[in-house]
Amino acid sequence: MTPLLKVENLHQHFKISRNFTVKAVNGVSFEIYPGETYGLVGESGSGKTTIGRSIIRLYNPTDGKITFDGKTISGKLDDDTNKFLRKNMQMIFQDPMSSLNPRKKVGEIIGEGLDIHKLYTTAQEKNKIISEILKKVGLSPAHAERYPNQFSGGQRQRVGIARALVMQPKLIIADECISALDVSIQAQVVNLMKDIQDATNCAYLFIAHDLSMVKYISDKIGVLHLGYLVETGTTHEIFNNPIHPYTKSLLSAVPIPNPILEKKRKSLTYDVKNFNYAAGTMHHVGGSHFVLATDEDFKIWN
Amino acid sequence: MNENLILSVENLDITFKTNAGNIHAIRGVDITLPKGKTVAIVGESGSGKSVTMKAVTGLLDSNAVINGGKIFYHYDEKTVDLLTLTKKELRRTINGQHIAMVFQDPMTSLNPTMTIGAQIMEGMLLHQNISESDARDKALELLNLVGIVDDEKRFKNYPHQLSGGMRQRVVIAVALANTPKILICDEPTTALDVTIQAGILSLISDLQARLGISVIYITHDLGVVAKVADFVNVMYAGKIIERGTVDEIFFDPRHPYTWGLLSAMPDLETDDDRLYSIPGSPPNLLHEPIGDAFAARNKFAMKIDEKAAPPMFKISETHFAATWLLHPDAPKVEMPEELRKRIERAKLGSRE
Repeated sequence: MTPLLKVENLHQHFKISRNFTVKAVNGVSFEIYPGETYGLVGESGSGKTTIGRSIIRLYNPTDGKITFDGKTISGKLDDDTNKFLRKNMQMIFQDPMSSLNPRKKVGEIIGEGLDIHKLYTTAQEKNKIISEILKKVGLSPAHAERYPNQFSGGQRQRVGIARALVMQPKLIIADECISALDVSIQAQVVNLMKDIQDATNCAYLFIAHDLSMVKYISDKIGVLHLGYLVETGTTHEIFNNPIHPYTKSLLSAVPIPNPILEKKRKSLTYDVKNFNYAAGTMHHVGGSHFVLATDEDFKIWN
Repeated sequence: MNENLILSVENLDITFKTNAGNIHAIRGVDITLPKGKTVAIVGESGSGKSVTMKAVTGLLDSNAVINGGKIFYHYDEKTVDLLTLTKKELRRTINGQHIAMVFQDPMTSLNPTMTIGAQIMEGMLLHQNISESDARDKALELLNLVGIVDDEKRFKNYPHQLSGGMRQRVVIAVALANTPKILICDEPTTALDVTIQAGILSLISDLQARLGISVIYITHDLGVVAKVADFVNVMYAGKIIERGTVDEIFFDPRHPYTWGLLSAMPDLETDDDRLYSIPGSPPNLLHEPIGDAFAARNKFAMKIDEKAAPPMFKISETHFAATWLLHPDAPKVEMPEELRKRIERAKLGSRE
């Protein structure tokens, strides 16, 4: 099977002034297959959001190659590729309060992509598409006539999902789409996203800092730190056999809902000064499990 | 009256007047804080956990009306009802010196135009009769205490020069400036990453052990509760619906809402890839709920739940829950099978 999205050696730098450049992403490579969920985790400032934005071309990648469904989407986009990209890749944003236009009705927000790409012939057809998509995300068709401020946070995030889904995309980039929600609502949204994936076979790039939620939704996980992909593998490989010390410290910091265990547990500290990411290369651990390390470090960790 | 209590909230009742109508946000809340212990208040957004603590510190918005209740603060063998004090009296005598607060978002709770040193000193100079150079020494000491190493340099920094975790450490230093007896932490780590969260939580427990302060945590993260709390209050729609020691709540929960909350926590141990979610959403308190506010989302709800709100049923000396399921006449209902298995597994895991 060919991957739906292939990111090779992606670099994203931001030039702040003549002699200061922020190197947000440094040589990140990964693949996403159709119908698969790839979870990208890391602390704030690790570059996970930047990667998402570079892929969907909200930024222009500094270096590297991104292939989406057989087409190269890094570098200059011609009109056809641009249209293809905008229709087949969609994004769900972190904050459901600020990512919906407060002056538009939900129906208009969802229908905007349909208008731009002329995906309907009559107004009735458009309304039918919108009603169906609203039902799919657990809202009622009557909600199309309401404004975003009339919804709760969880419902608003459902509108954000509906807006992405209505284009029938092949890939959805979900950028911290549950971190602004309550625990009980988070579970509802994660389950909804899984149901949708089962029904439509779309792929997700799921960006988050909360490893415990990522575990539930992802097939594969990539751990980012300071713009480097330090470890990647299937969810099982990362959780049962973490190799990189950073991944281990990240796993040890996830709170467990068990008071006896949690009070005894010490989270591992991680000092980045002991590591030189730029000198490391990707080492194969087994299966699809890779870790960024220098040859010496890799020997010690194993 | 229990002598070991430092704060007790009794039957607190608060309404907010808004254009849309009156919102009955707090509907009879009792919370007790024993001296030197940590009490957690857990609930979804809108359940009233922050409002309760704002009432304690006199920070309620001007459209809030306190319909009744008492908040007793016990210190130096005296007892004051904080609700009888005016905002000014509270500010001059209690806030900062006795009760200090750490807010959720360290980005917005610091003044961007003041150096962090000046912000730590500000409270000291207001409340204590000390010279500026003494205050400076004490501020540097506090920065060390909260784990900021290059204190001399950081003292002159502005908030934007610090990372989120560092800023939250500064906010804690500001709160500790006048050595308070009670520290109220309103979601202190929600805006932070997991690795930094672990650091801040252990910092707060270290300080608690060293300074002997009592802590109230407001949070919706049960993982955090498991780590820090001695006692837990579960709040729903302006009421405490279950309270107990942390072990009682995690290993022997009785209220269906607590079952739901515990089940919705992601579990790293299972290979199960479905997450439990509580159906529906919290009630709108613009309309006073009749009966049990949780009934609409509760699959165990009975007829009586639609008519009368359940009282607190006693399970043990420390464990109470407000659900009709505990009434002697109620049918016997067990917690969901999956949760029961999960608790068993957790108990087993903790013995190793």
